[in-house]
Amino acid sequence: MSLWPAETQEMAKKLIGRYPDPKSAVMPLLYLAMRQDGYLTEAGMREVASWTGHTPAQVQSVATFYGMFKTERLGDYLVSVCTSISCMLLGGDEVLDAVEDETGVPHGETDAEGLFSVEHVECLGACGGAPAMQVNYELVEGSTPDQARSLCRWLREERPEAVNTDAMQEQFGGRRSFDWAITEDNSAVGPYPAFGPYGTLRRGDT
Amino acid sequence: MADLVKITVDGRQIEVPHGELVIRAAQDHGVYIPRFCWHPRMREVGMCRMCLVEIETPRGTILTTACTTTAAEGMVVHTASDTAKKAQEGILEFLLINHPLDCPVCDKGGECPLQDQTMAFGPGESRFVEEKRHYEKPIPISDLVFLDRERCILCARCTRFADEIAGDPLIEFKDRGNHTSVETFPDLPFSSYFSGNTVQICPVGALTASAYRFKARPWDLLVVESSCSHCTVGCRISVESSQNHVLRFNGVDNGATNQGWLSDKCRFGFEFIGSEQRLRTPLVKVEGEFREASWAEALDVVADRLGAIIEEQGGDAVGGIGGARSTNEDAYAFGKFMRTVVGSNHLDARLDDGLDARFLAAVSPRAKIADLDRAATILVWAPDLKEESGSLYLRVRHAVQERGAKLVVVHPRRTGLDDRATHKLTYRPGEGPALLGELAGGAGDYAKVLETLSLGPVVAVVGRTGLTEQPQLAEEVAAFALSLPDAKVLPFARRSNVFGALDMGVAPTLLPGRAAAGDSEATGHLEAVWGPIPTQAGRDTMGILQGLVDGDLKALVLLGADPVRDVPAAGIARRGMESAEFVVAIDLFLTDSSELADVVFPAEAFGEKEGTITNLEGRVQKVNRVVTGPGQSQADWTILDDISRRLGKPLGFASAEAISKEIADVAPPYGGISWELLEWDAKEGAVVPYGEAGQPVAYRPDGVDREALAAMSRNPESGAFALHLARTLYDDGVLMRNSLSLHALAPGGAVHLHPADAARLGVSEGSLVEVETVDASVRLPAVIDPSLATGVVYVPFNQPGIPSLGSDLSVVVAAGEEVSA
Ligand code: SF4
Ligand code: FES
Ligand code: FES
Repeated sequence: MSLWPAETQEMAKKLIGRYPDPKSAVMPLLYLAMRQDGYLTEAGMREVASWTGHTPAQVQSVATFYGMFKTERLGDYLVSVCTSISCMLLGGDEVLDAVEDETGVPHGETDAEGLFSVEHVECLGACGGAPAMQVNYELVEGSTPDQARSLCRWLREERPEAVNTDAMQEQFGGRRSFDWAITEDNSAVGPYPAFGPYGTLRRGDT
Repeated sequence: MADLVKITVDGRQIEVPHGELVIRAAQDHGVYIPRFCWHPRMREVGMCRMCLVEIETPRGTILTTACTTTAAEGMVVHTASDTAKKAQEGILEFLLINHPLDCPVCDKGGECPLQDQTMAFGPGESRFVEEKRHYEKPIPISDLVFLDRERCILCARCTRFADEIAGDPLIEFKDRGNHTSVETFPDLPFSSYFSGNTVQICPVGALTASAYRFKARPWDLLVVESSCSHCTVGCRISVESSQNHVLRFNGVDNGATNQGWLSDKCRFGFEFIGSEQRLRTPLVKVEGEFREASWAEALDVVADRLGAIIEEQGGDAVGGIGGARSTNEDAYAFGKFMRTVVGSNHLDARLDDGLDARFLAAVSPRAKIADLDRAATILVWAPDLKEESGSLYLRVRHAVQERGAKLVVVHPRRTGLDDRATHKLTYRPGEGPALLGELAGGAGDYAKVLETLSLGPVVAVVGRTGLTEQPQLAEEVAAFALSLPDAKVLPFARRSNVFGALDMGVAPTLLPGRAAAGDSEATGHLEAVWGPIPTQAGRDTMGILQGLVDGDLKALVLLGADPVRDVPAAGIARRGMESAEFVVAIDLFLTDSSELADVVFPAEAFGEKEGTITNLEGRVQKVNRVVTGPGQSQADWTILDDISRRLGKPLGFASAEAISKEIADVAPPYGGISWELLEWDAKEGAVVPYGEAGQPVAYRPDGVDREALAAMSRNPESGAFALHLARTLYDDGVLMRNSLSLHALAPGGAVHLHPADAARLGVSEGSLVEVETVDASVRLPAVIDPSLATGVVYVPFNQPGIPSLGSDLSVVVAAGEEVSA
């Protein structure tokens, strides 16, 4: 019996339907579980196991292999700053410093209030818009350290229910990679729930 | 035979099958390439890199893993070139970076592939001066297995075994990079029935067995090869002892049976051998109390009282039950004792859980276990193999999972193989015959199943799914199976050497060598050696027990049998034994049954005696002596021989080996099978009928008998549920009860019901339920089990402290009163 609300179950069914074997849906379902609880809980991993036919140990193995699956409680806003080579050359480290300073949260940690989690990450595949960062896996490209500070301040003050690439990019971003190539709407409701408004459920909602 | 190709290994040209892995090809020709992750019975993954060798290719020499490279014509391999050596040294140095090197306190020290290969292929020195990884020292990952993550070299043998072989992927790698470790999910232990195998195949001491930890060093162990006697597969094992104590069993790779694997019941089910509870002296009951007696005293009592009954009322007044836990030699001695010394045909090795003796012994054509590797379709209409025969379960799973055979499972509830089944048919106990009729007819939904089943070759594993099932149903299932294309039947019964005992004639309808009792030619052949044998019709186990209750029989001889615990109709068993004027038991322990005997003789157990056993495919294998029995215990045949002398009709056996020669003599299918053959030539055992010999009875049911099926159908009484009573791997049997690591693992009493029935009765998971049959009434916790049909309850048989519900189909079920905690 699923612990998920009906809407999430519908989504799970839809995702599983995309694969010939339910087991293949383990990663999208992990994103779903993460969106449901804010991070991957034991209960969430058990849930994914029962939907896909894996054992919880197998689900845990996948979940702990990939950096973007979080098995520890996060703040409402996860700020990930790329410090791989392209971003590093164009000021990624300075952006990270600014974010750490503005939020008071060092890499890999979450503040006491549960508002921010900060991390530096490897290449986000957005080198053309370096330096790149993400808020709840929504991309913001080409920000200066000051813009990154404003972004953090805005998050703290506005506490938006959902964040989205386009809006953040407009306010806090700079040059964007592949602007010329992207015609479809790449924000919000992509095929994977993680690229949707992840984090909209505040702690305590579940 | 696959095509052969010529390859060159270290300058020597060898011929190997095309496509063979280089690591195996080299080993078959005497060149050992070091390895950790590769295991000959699992898929290759190439993840430890220890097997790096140099291979010449048109584009130059490459360094590659021998365990993932297949042999091709003209291939040139260097396993010990400077580059290969440097690579191997590098890998070992790398693997040892985090390994704690705590060999002096490690169980594996002395038989450790990491230790051995470091000595043989390693650099001898490490350049790593940094801190190693640290983990909490061994943590239990199941009741039987401990994991020390510091020692682990991440070869994934254990995790692959759990997934690929056992089908229980409850351990997996967690985290990544330097933090990777083997883990279970929190609160979900590695409670696989096969967990112990990981201890054996772990190439380091990361996984250790709770039953063996710190008990001995490998070089102190006396290791003798033998065959396991827990179920009817007869897995090959090594029995390892130190100072006359059996300390562990390991699996031995016999390609025909277990291929190296063992279930945990077999691996850890040795503890009973050294149990304090073993009988050490004969016991004689005086005024209701057992008293220790000398051997001569006990024999006197038996000679007096059994002798008197035979003299006054004839051998016909005596029954004999047992032999299934004995060797063939012991069982043969028992049969000969009953028929010639006592003069009775009332003898049986089955404990009313079996099928027709002639069916079990001589159904034909009979499959071998290895036929599963060739079958296109496998039909399992039998007990849940995962619960009753671990190795057979693994073989079926392997054939389906790794080779793609189709599988049809027919059973009243879920079984361990369901996740791999192409079709699973569930039915109510009692309605099996109707289901078989419909399946054979192939109408409606069954057409698809029948279509799958008509892909030959077909191997059908046929037995009785539960203890309330009509025993004759299996014969009709076999008849149906044999009508399928290129089909063979593997008859399934579980009690250790029951097939051997039946082959030795320990059944009212059989003579030694699968001959029918009453067959004049076979009788003549036998009487030439045995002298005259009785001709009256014999009784089976239930017949004997009922005869004792009714007073038709007066005395009982028990050979390693515990009918009070093992016969489903426990009430009749107990009353029968209580009504008997005289009971003599030969046993390892005082059991619920031997408690009721007048004289008990201490017997030698598995591991304490030599002999042969015969498995469910008719394979004869040798079992060997490793330790001596406790106190004055003796082999069954010696005890029977002693009694026969006192009764004035000596069996005249000189040794177990002499008995085996007599068997080869009087039982033609066993002609040519000798201990010598089994010890030296027939490494995988010899299958009966052996050599030129045919099988006297060929029991081939001819076609499904629809009338018989219709007559067989049964339904529970109105208002009652149908009872499915089936065994679990761990239970309250006497050997389990005295193997302490395992006894605690018995699932315990419970009643499983379909959710709809539970709702109707107002029962929820864990609440108490009253269960009443003609034999007993008990109160058990409920388990909601959607795998059952409605109107059915499943109760695991023979659980600690729970009385037997008997084999009657009807059971009345009601919500019990809640007991407040
Ligand atoms: S525990 Fe043993 S078998 Fe499992 S991965 Fe580690 S070294 Fe290999
Ligand atoms: S290096 Fe930062 S996005 Fe590629
Ligand atoms: S044995 Fe070949 S890579 Fe491990």
